[in-house]
Amino acid sequence: MTTSAFRLAILSGVLALWEIAARAGNPLLYVPPSAVLPSLVNLVALRSYPDLLEHVLLTAREIAVAYALAVAGGVGVGCALGGHRVLGRAYAPMLAALYAVPAVVWYPSLMLFFGLDAASKIAFGFLLGFFPITLAVLAGTRQVNPHLVTVARSFGASPLAVFAKVLLPGMLFTLVGGLRTGLALAVIGVIVGEVLGAKAGMGTLINHAYGLFRTADYVALVLVTLVLIVTSDVLASLVERRARRWTT
Amino acid sequence: MTVADAELIRIDGVAKRYRTASGVVDALGDVSLAVPEGQFCTIIGPSGCGKSTLLGMLAGLVGPDGGRVLIEGQPVTGPDPRRVATVFQDPGLFPWRTALENVEFGLELQGADRGRRRAVATELLGPLGLRGFAEKYPRELSGGMKQRVAIGRALAIDTKILLMDEPFGALDEQTRMLMGEWLLDIWRRTNKTVIFVTHSLHEALALSTRVVVMTARPGRIKSVLELPLGYPRAMESPELVTLRAKLWSEIRDESLRAMSES
Ligand SMILES: Nc1ncnc2c1ncn2[C@@H]1O[C@H](COP(=O)(O)OP(=O)(O)OP(=O)(O)O)[C@@H](O)[C@H]1O
Ligand SMILES: [Mg+2]
Repeated sequence: MTTSAFRLAILSGVLALWEIAARAGNPLLYVPPSAVLPSLVNLVALRSYPDLLEHVLLTAREIAVAYALAVAGGVGVGCALGGHRVLGRAYAPMLAALYAVPAVVWYPSLMLFFGLDAASKIAFGFLLGFFPITLAVLAGTRQVNPHLVTVARSFGASPLAVFAKVLLPGMLFTLVGGLRTGLALAVIGVIVGEVLGAKAGMGTLINHAYGLFRTADYVALVLVTLVLIVTSDVLASLVERRARRWTT
Repeated sequence: MTVADAELIRIDGVAKRYRTASGVVDALGDVSLAVPEGQFCTIIGPSGCGKSTLLGMLAGLVGPDGGRVLIEGQPVTGPDPRRVATVFQDPGLFPWRTALENVEFGLELQGADRGRRRAVATELLGPLGLRGFAEKYPRELSGGMKQRVAIGRALAIDTKILLMDEPFGALDEQTRMLMGEWLLDIWRRTNKTVIFVTHSLHEALALSTRVVVMTARPGRIKSVLELPLGYPRAMESPELVTLRAKLWSEIRDESLRAMSES
């Protein structure tokens, strides 16, 4: 059996089980796939939520901004800590400790600080994406053979040239892994932020449908969100594969 | 010739002490040496006597603890790739660059355009015996090939001074002799000043105009042997056989000392 045939079989199996289990329970809480399908069609046809596209775009924009900030901050802080021995020794353990704290605990204070609009979602997505990127850059700078930096300096490389021609290619392998994890976490941050409290965005719609017991709509919305997330991850994995082929 | 041109390199009472977590190492103690332009000056001495450290000072990568290093009368304060190129003991090739791209590295930093970089690097690969390996990555090259790429990378920026730290150390003896002949040829055509570190008596006697023997750590200069002989040298000639015996007796004592101390 080919992989895709195998996947199809598993998927149909799961859907069948879901259908059977859902029909046995309370139809308000348990929706069978057969009920989700019409909801999904209504959703995509912009009948149940006519402004769906705006919400999708808002969420995508929040993710893009949060991720861009996380990359810039993570690469900057990671390089500073990795390149500067004293700074690294002082702050790297703190960073690792902060990363271990479940990030949701910060969210209430972010909402207080940034309000209910996009800013708090962006801040939360940034917060989640920032740590894995910083730690990957930090690990990456330590992975680069210091002799290569010496060699580059002997050929007259400025600090910027050392970064671009030695550090960056030397840590690319580790960096792309961190960038991918960072993206996944930034996406989670933004969507969780929206679910926990927002005026617009996919998370808000999900929360709304769920709150009104429109369970079939809720599942359909989750599926659309899932497509958004999977698309971003597929893109990231393509970039990652290309980068890995280039470095090794 | 004025005194100023005669002394391209002047090393004046330099010393180096490394402080590490595990203790203090006196690597070099009070070394003074003047090298006129155009010399092929070989440094030979027991392992750990500070030869690489001394080259590092000339390259502007290691700061001396005492004394000073002058090139063309100016104190060395940092790397100066317009005057000094280095072949390191550990070749230190960039793993993400092909052999050709590694050779191009210095020219790229100097902003040379792509066409010229390619041309210079390609021309160097031939005599280095790497013509068919231009597109290979370091991990696909043997140890000796890597070392030859590193030599090409240093030659590509065509400097007045060439520092070579055991450049043929990873080569088999036949290749070593051929590479020595090739280096001599370049040196004689270009009037470069070569500072060359080796552990091979044969190489020192076949190539150098001057051999500097260093003591065991902390390295000092034990003696300097001038070799005002032509090329190619008949290594079996009575003159060279005598010189070889003399050099060996100097180095033997120091190597014995270094071994008994470590
Ligand atoms: N960066 C460093 N930190 C601490 N100690 C060092 C450092 N570099 C060299 N040393 C020590 O200084 C001494 C001289 O080292 P160096 O590499 O200059 O010797 P060398 O003459 O080149 O030896 P070899 O012939 O084995 O290459 C050695 O004892 C070495 O352990
Ligand atoms: Mg050495």
